[in-house]
Amino acid sequence: MASVDLRGLTKRFGSLAVVDNVSLKIDHGQLVCLLGPSGCGKTTTLRLIAGFLEPSDGEIHVGERLVSSKTRTLPPEQRNMSMIFQSYALWPHMTVTENIVYGLRLRKLDRDTIAKKLAAILATTKLEALAQRYPGELSGGQQQRVALARALIVEPETLLLDEPLSNLDANLREEMRFEIRRLHDEYRYTTVYVTHDQSEAMTTADMIAVMNGGRIDQLGTPEDIYARPESEFVARFIGASNVIKGTARDANHVAFAGATLKVVGAPLTPGQGAVVAIRQHDIGLATQAPASPENAIKAVVTRQVYLGVARDYMLEVADGTSLRATAPTETNVPKGSEIWLTLPPERCRALSR
Amino acid sequence: MKGRRLSRRDVLQGSVALAAGTVFASPARAQAPEPVAVTPALVEAAKKEGKLIYYSSMDLPVGEKLGKAFEAAFPGITIQIERSGSERLFQRIDQEFASNIRAADIVNSSDASHFISWKKNGWLMPLVPEDVAKHFPESYRDPDGMFATSRVWLSSIAYNTNLVKPEDAPKSFADLLDPKWAGKMVKGHPAYSGTIMTATFQMVRELGWEYMEKLARQRVMQVQSSTDPPKKLSLGERAVMADGNEYGIVLLKEAGQPVEPVYPTEGTPTISGPTGIFKTAPHPNAAKLFQAWLHTRETQQFFVDFTAQYSVHAQVQSKPGRRKISDIKLMKEDAEGVEKMAEEIKTRYARLFRV
Amino acid sequence: MTITTTDTPKRRIDVTRPVLWLFAAFMIVLIVLPLSWLVVFAFTDKARRPTLQNFVTLFTDPAFLDPLLTTAIIATTSAVICCLVAAPIGWLVSRTDMPGRQTIRALLTASFVTPPFLGAVAWELLAAPNSGMLNQLYRYLTGAEDPLFDIYSLTGLIFVISCYTFPFVFVLVANALDNMPGELEDASAILGGKAWTTARRVTIPLALPALVAGALIAFLQAMTLFGSPAILALPAGFHTMTTKIWSLFQYPPKLELAAAAAVPLLLLTMLLLQGQKFLLGRRGFSVVGGKYGAPRPIEMGGWRWAALAFCLLVLLNPVFLPYFALLNAAFSPNATTLVTPSTATLHNIVFVFTELSSTQLALKNTVILGASTATVGTILALVVAYVTTRRVIASHRLLGFLATAPVAVPGIVLGVGLFLSYTRPPFVLYGTLWILLLAFLTINLPSAYQQLQAAFATIHPELEDASRILGATRLQALRQITAPLLRTGVIATWCFIFIGVMRELSAAIVLFTSQTKVLSVLIYDLNESGDLAAISVLGIAMLVITFAVVLAVNRIPMFGGGAGARLRNS
Repeated sequence: MASVDLRGLTKRFGSLAVVDNVSLKIDHGQLVCLLGPSGCGKTTTLRLIAGFLEPSDGEIHVGERLVSSKTRTLPPEQRNMSMIFQSYALWPHMTVTENIVYGLRLRKLDRDTIAKKLAAILATTKLEALAQRYPGELSGGQQQRVALARALIVEPETLLLDEPLSNLDANLREEMRFEIRRLHDEYRYTTVYVTHDQSEAMTTADMIAVMNGGRIDQLGTPEDIYARPESEFVARFIGASNVIKGTARDANHVAFAGATLKVVGAPLTPGQGAVVAIRQHDIGLATQAPASPENAIKAVVTRQVYLGVARDYMLEVADGTSLRATAPTETNVPKGSEIWLTLPPERCRALSR
Repeated sequence: MKGRRLSRRDVLQGSVALAAGTVFASPARAQAPEPVAVTPALVEAAKKEGKLIYYSSMDLPVGEKLGKAFEAAFPGITIQIERSGSERLFQRIDQEFASNIRAADIVNSSDASHFISWKKNGWLMPLVPEDVAKHFPESYRDPDGMFATSRVWLSSIAYNTNLVKPEDAPKSFADLLDPKWAGKMVKGHPAYSGTIMTATFQMVRELGWEYMEKLARQRVMQVQSSTDPPKKLSLGERAVMADGNEYGIVLLKEAGQPVEPVYPTEGTPTISGPTGIFKTAPHPNAAKLFQAWLHTRETQQFFVDFTAQYSVHAQVQSKPGRRKISDIKLMKEDAEGVEKMAEEIKTRYARLFRV
Repeated sequence: MTITTTDTPKRRIDVTRPVLWLFAAFMIVLIVLPLSWLVVFAFTDKARRPTLQNFVTLFTDPAFLDPLLTTAIIATTSAVICCLVAAPIGWLVSRTDMPGRQTIRALLTASFVTPPFLGAVAWELLAAPNSGMLNQLYRYLTGAEDPLFDIYSLTGLIFVISCYTFPFVFVLVANALDNMPGELEDASAILGGKAWTTARRVTIPLALPALVAGALIAFLQAMTLFGSPAILALPAGFHTMTTKIWSLFQYPPKLELAAAAAVPLLLLTMLLLQGQKFLLGRRGFSVVGGKYGAPRPIEMGGWRWAALAFCLLVLLNPVFLPYFALLNAAFSPNATTLVTPSTATLHNIVFVFTELSSTQLALKNTVILGASTATVGTILALVVAYVTTRRVIASHRLLGFLATAPVAVPGIVLGVGLFLSYTRPPFVLYGTLWILLLAFLTINLPSAYQQLQAAFATIHPELEDASRILGATRLQALRQITAPLLRTGVIATWCFIFIGVMRELSAAIVLFTSQTKVLSVLIYDLNESGDLAAISVLGIAMLVITFAVVLAVNRIPMFGGGAGARLRNS
């Protein structure tokens, strides 16, 4: 059982804490995404797990084994991990085969075993025809598959991926996303996946850890993160959310722009400021006042763009707050018109942070 | 210095008439060891060592020829010649001894005063070759047997016959101060060459520092070794040699090069080059053999014939057709004087000639 | 594919850090020890009591001030001349359609191989005021009395130094221009910049750092050079700082003054290196971002032949004329007389190889030292460059500094420092080849380090990380991944050091003994006694050896000849 357990992990460069007291337990066989904008500390966390960096504080356990602490760090080569790098890091002086079997050679496996494993991984990654090529002679997607094959052939306890798809074009990216998940399901190693692309995280991860400023902002299943953001940061970063700032009336009502919104999510303290998130496509638009006044707000269209699948509206409510909404193309309201917004209560999430 | 103007010309017996003025002052009690001859036992012991390292300031082709003659006489022993200006050799030997490096077996310096220092330091091994005991004048051998003068040569004036007509050629050191020679002369450097050190000492003693001061204003081309000026002269790089090895000039002239020596009327500086063995020689037997062999009549004769230098060996004849040293007015040697004045000469010379 | 047991690599102790610390300690001993002794000697008297008297002597005696001034003049003029000559040639070779560009580049690069002292001797043969062949020819053609050019003069020395220094500047400038993408010039052109404006506003400013670096290198070279001045300055009747320092080692040695005389050179170098940083500031000069195509060569029309003529004319001076003179002297009975079939003689060659008893020893020592210094130096520079580019240990900055520091120390001064360090316990190395190895190592380390550091910078660190995470130790990763990728750089560095050893005279002249003589010292000694023909033979032999070794090294199968092509796309 090789779970990966980060306990109070901290990495400081000078006085700057790039990773700040991160605790995260990844069960064996789970695929966890570290998701966040650049500079949030996700790659540093990954490199700490890999052993390329020593923590300033905290510990990393893999299974029963303490692999990193302030005083002792197991070097990367002794961690039985594999990693796929943003640049793929294929060795240009070695053929595809040489690249792939490198790790097995280090493990001093016999020739036959190596040949068997190589054949298997080449088949899995559809690289048979390219085995004798040099990396310089491969396309981006092929290089990516070589990197995968190289990392997987050693059957690591833990697989680390650092933005593995960022150098691919959109179509290939989509395809490889599922490929990574498929291989993960096939081999069931513990996987840590670093990305800044939320849809990549959504489609591949069992759990997502959204990172911001060196901390884990929210940890949850893709659905948790998407549907139930806990912080303004997560709400904004994941999907397209409007964040509304009003005043709590009671535990689940917020006064905003002359209306009262019924909300779900974190319980509110009456009289205090409240932050509410609602997704752009959850906002209903109508030219007539809705039948039920509940959670309805009047607004003015300040911009409207035709997107093909939908229309993108920029709206301004009475207190000057701008909201964005996505509506079906048939809802066509010209700029400057008055419009009624319906914010369904079950979609209005009060945020705890 | 000028007051001591000594221009004695003593006539010696034999072929090599040389000033009998004592090069080295004899101490009261001389205890030279028993003379050594070239015996089969010595040859055997030397061959076992198989090698000889010879520090010398002799002109390279000349020195190497001597080495080849030794190798031919005693097959199985190779000789490695370390040629450099004597003053540089002196510095290097000093440096090597200070660092406990005992590389040199035997040394021949063109600055006889070096042997005073080495003897004082106790670095030399006493050895008197049979011929030295029998045929060398006392003034040319150390009473304790630490060294003997293997060769004598001169530092003369010379000119390139293509560039200077005989009647225009300088006759004396004084002539070199003529403005017409400005920028046309070449000379060696006393901080590098023992020959030039010895010659400069004698010239300063005879002519005074004023002479050097005036010479320095003549824009003389300055080279290092006393073996170089004859070569620069024969290339035609300069018309006149203000000092340098006379034997180099004689050999070049004999080889058909357009050079001609001039023995200045004030007297020609005379240099004797002693040879001695280091106590710490890594190949002591080879060194002893070389020392014994070098001073035999045969070697000395051979040496005189092909190097155009002079020998103090009583039985050595000068080569027919060459000028006899007894016909040349010489300046007197004074190794102890050189030893006392070496530092001053280097400093003052560097100031005058700016190099 | 089935999953069986996980193949955990066996636990092993990571020896990397101790090894790295060992290297660091070695570097510190290598560089700090001699420099410390120098400082001690500069600031003490014979009895090692602290004093400033050495500097007082230095700065009040014209015998020291004159060489200082002379050296400043030589260094400045040489640097200016080098830039003026190297910049246009670099541009012509790199950015235009001049014919024979590759040949010119190869010849200029090859002229690195010429040791400055050999070049000086060759120019003695050519331009000694009376016997020099060029001056003879000039007199013959014009009937003039005065020589055309006197090599035994300050101008002559500056000329010879420039001849053998400007290739350094050329290589820097040409490489900078090679790496500058054509789009940058195109971008200026498309915005309406005329050819000259483009050159002035884009090309020249982008090449400026290389030019400044080149000027600096030329200045430092000229300032610290010993070989050429040792051969030309004495007959010309003046001293430079290096020949003055050398004369201070003569009997009786004044080591304190020599050490003190090195201090101004040291300070000036440090100042210049700082000045370069300040001058270039933080402006981005390294080309950033994007993919670039090869630059468009500028079409020169009829001027291309004039340009070629110019390049060949320049090349006469460091390459064609000197080698002609050396070859002539090697076969001629009289070094400066034009050899004819009837006068041609093998006497000089026979003399050098059969009679001259030091030849074989010097050849053997030089080749041994060249190969071992190049090997050890490359490994050392490799490790230091690795540590500094990958920031492996905390003190990587210090290591980088140590590896660059010898740049500031003239070879002859380093020679004394090493002499002082290694003639006393615990390291008694004087009289062995080891001390020369240390000297050559120290002297060549800065350039080797910088070359390999640049090579490292082009290798993505993730390539090593990928190997580590798959189970390789740091040293394994270095050996299996980094080293092969650095192949070209490593070979170039090895050859560079080897050539550096062949060229080196200034430290060797202080450190050699009869048993540890090298070719450069032998040549210097032969020059002292005026044996120019023997020098010519030895000099040519030296070049043949160098080229043979360089060619051989480039063919060693261990370095996988032909792998270069595979690297092109990555």
